[in-house]
Amino acid sequence: MNFAMRSSSFISRFGQYLFAFGLIAVITATFFALRDALDTTLIALLYLIPLGLITALWGLGPGITSALITFLTFNYFFIPPYYTFAVHRPTDVVILVIFLIVAIVISQLVGRMQVSLAAATAREREATQLYELSTALAGLHDERAIAEILAKQVQDVSQGEAVELSITGTQPFAFRLPESIMPTRLPEWVVPIQVARGALGEIRLWRAAPAITSSEKRLLQTFASQGALALERARLAQAESRARVLEESDRLKSAILSSVSHELRTPLSTIKAASSSLRSNEVSWDSAARPELIAAIDDEADHLNMLVGNLLDMSRIESGALKPKREWNILPEIVGSVLARMKHLAGEHQLEVDVPESLPLVPVDYVQMEQVFTNLVSNSVKYAPEKTVIRVRAFVEGESIHVLVSNQGPQVPQEHLERIFDKFFRITAADRVTGTGLGLSICKGIIEAHSGRIWAENMPDGLAFNFTLPLIWEGAPPPQLPMDTETE
Amino acid sequence: MTNAPHILVIDDEPQIQRAIRTILTEKGFRVTTASRGEEGLTLAAVNEPDIVILDLGLPDMDGVEVCTRLREWTQCPIIILSVRDSERDKVAALDKGADDYLTKPFGIEELLARVRVALRHSASKQGMQGKVIHAGSLTIDLAWHIVRRGDEEIKLTATEHKLLAYLASNHGRVLTHQSILTHVWDPADADHTEYLRVYMRQLRKKLEVDPERPQYILTEPGIGYRFIADE
Repeated sequence: MNFAMRSSSFISRFGQYLFAFGLIAVITATFFALRDALDTTLIALLYLIPLGLITALWGLGPGITSALITFLTFNYFFIPPYYTFAVHRPTDVVILVIFLIVAIVISQLVGRMQVSLAAATAREREATQLYELSTALAGLHDERAIAEILAKQVQDVSQGEAVELSITGTQPFAFRLPESIMPTRLPEWVVPIQVARGALGEIRLWRAAPAITSSEKRLLQTFASQGALALERARLAQAESRARVLEESDRLKSAILSSVSHELRTPLSTIKAASSSLRSNEVSWDSAARPELIAAIDDEADHLNMLVGNLLDMSRIESGALKPKREWNILPEIVGSVLARMKHLAGEHQLEVDVPESLPLVPVDYVQMEQVFTNLVSNSVKYAPEKTVIRVRAFVEGESIHVLVSNQGPQVPQEHLERIFDKFFRITAADRVTGTGLGLSICKGIIEAHSGRIWAENMPDGLAFNFTLPLIWEGAPPPQLPMDTETE
Repeated sequence: MTNAPHILVIDDEPQIQRAIRTILTEKGFRVTTASRGEEGLTLAAVNEPDIVILDLGLPDMDGVEVCTRLREWTQCPIIILSVRDSERDKVAALDKGADDYLTKPFGIEELLARVRVALRHSASKQGMQGKVIHAGSLTIDLAWHIVRRGDEEIKLTATEHKLLAYLASNHGRVLTHQSILTHVWDPADADHTEYLRVYMRQLRKKLEVDPERPQYILTEPGIGYRFIADE
């Protein structure tokens, strides 16, 4: 049965009876005017038309009542003696009885048809609502979205005062409709959202009047089980993607471990070899090898320290703990100090710098930016052949600063240009070049923490690393400082 | 050697304690070690050391707090030991009264240089004004505001002079951005590191032979600056 129709109130019910009686009164008046021209049997037959109509329009109640009233009015007005309920002729008695039987049978038949039609319509609507719900839920993998849709549908169908969906699990939550005010009393009806493994939550419905009917309960239960299926599906999908992430990170971890242990062991082997030979009597006190061995221990300890530093940086970037301490800095100062420090590492490479003094101040973390330049330049030193040029260039581009570190080393295949910033990604075999394979991914992490962008591109004669950094920081452009220029 | 300088080392790692003790004893210092903050504070009160070497990562309390509590009653130099990447902690400790810092792992020359600077500063806490400081070919007369490279006088602006005077009179020591800004400019300007960057660059251009590779005014990344003068 339709809920909207079902909610028809006493007033409209009463109205239906009134209409029915009105119709009978009008028809009776018409027949009464034509009483002499019409035969009693004909009148009885004609009376059956409005009766059928009333039952068809307003149902069994008004139909049967109208049949009885018509029976009485027919008797009163049309069966002689008129204006009494007395009947003299036996034929009239037969007519009356037949009329009553036919009227009631017609009313019953039409009424029953009406009821089954309404039931069929209600079933069809339920089916449509269920279909809508399952279409809306299909493909959803977010528990909140599922809860929201389910609550909305329940609210639509039940027209209740409020609906609350509480979902249990690792992250329990509740979804309420309307969001603003919830009734303080207990809900009128509670349906568990249940799957084979147990309850996933429940639907609470507040609707004081009209009371919730059994067919509504049945529908809501179907809704709840649809919701349960959707939630179950979402949870399974989540579990699956979690498993996939774990598998991926497992794979990455073993890659890290193998790369790291290889990289850490190399300097350790040197240190162990040098220190043990110094301890033993193999190397005499005045041997020329002594300072050589001592220098090796010192250098390799520094190398080891750098590797550990890189690993720490990477884990900090991964965990989102790398927060730049941004200040207005002078880019030429940073570049200058890095290149000065790297001079001895650059060896036979030629360093060319075009970072003009006229550049505005840049809002960066000094230490992290030093590291970006160190990593980019040392990457260039590592891969570009000796005696080639490594160039560092910076210029303003709109509201950003654009920095280029280019070398005349081998180009990177187009499909690897992005991947070289991934951790542990290497084009050449790991044992041919030293390093953790972390340098570029650390650069990427730092630049992105500064809201910048970093990429590599092939140049006609080599490879260039590019990055841009915003010059606007906390809504302000680089400050211009009032300088005192007057000397004492 | 009862009047040899006494150094208190507060560090919870036995290997570091062993290395520092061996080297400093070798160099003629008296060394006491503590592995916890409370123990270190007690030993400092009992022994009144000439220098405290303090690790920031102690098991029982924060190194910065040890620093603060030491400063409540003693002005003895404090040298901080800490790992790389904890610039914030180092700056916090320096601003709470520590005199210098060393990043682990450190070379022994660095440690000895810090100890020497610390001893010199505790010996001549006052009377820095009026001194003439020599750094390479530079001569800085703090009293007369005259800076010379060789025989040639270098003209400095008033702010540059103030900046150089503060750096030079604390030569050998690290000075945090905040302490320089507070001393040379104004406590209200303590956040304006850009002033410092710009003036420091200008000063380097006037003083250094190669401003990209400064010999006198060194940058301590993320911390501050250090002026290197002749011993």
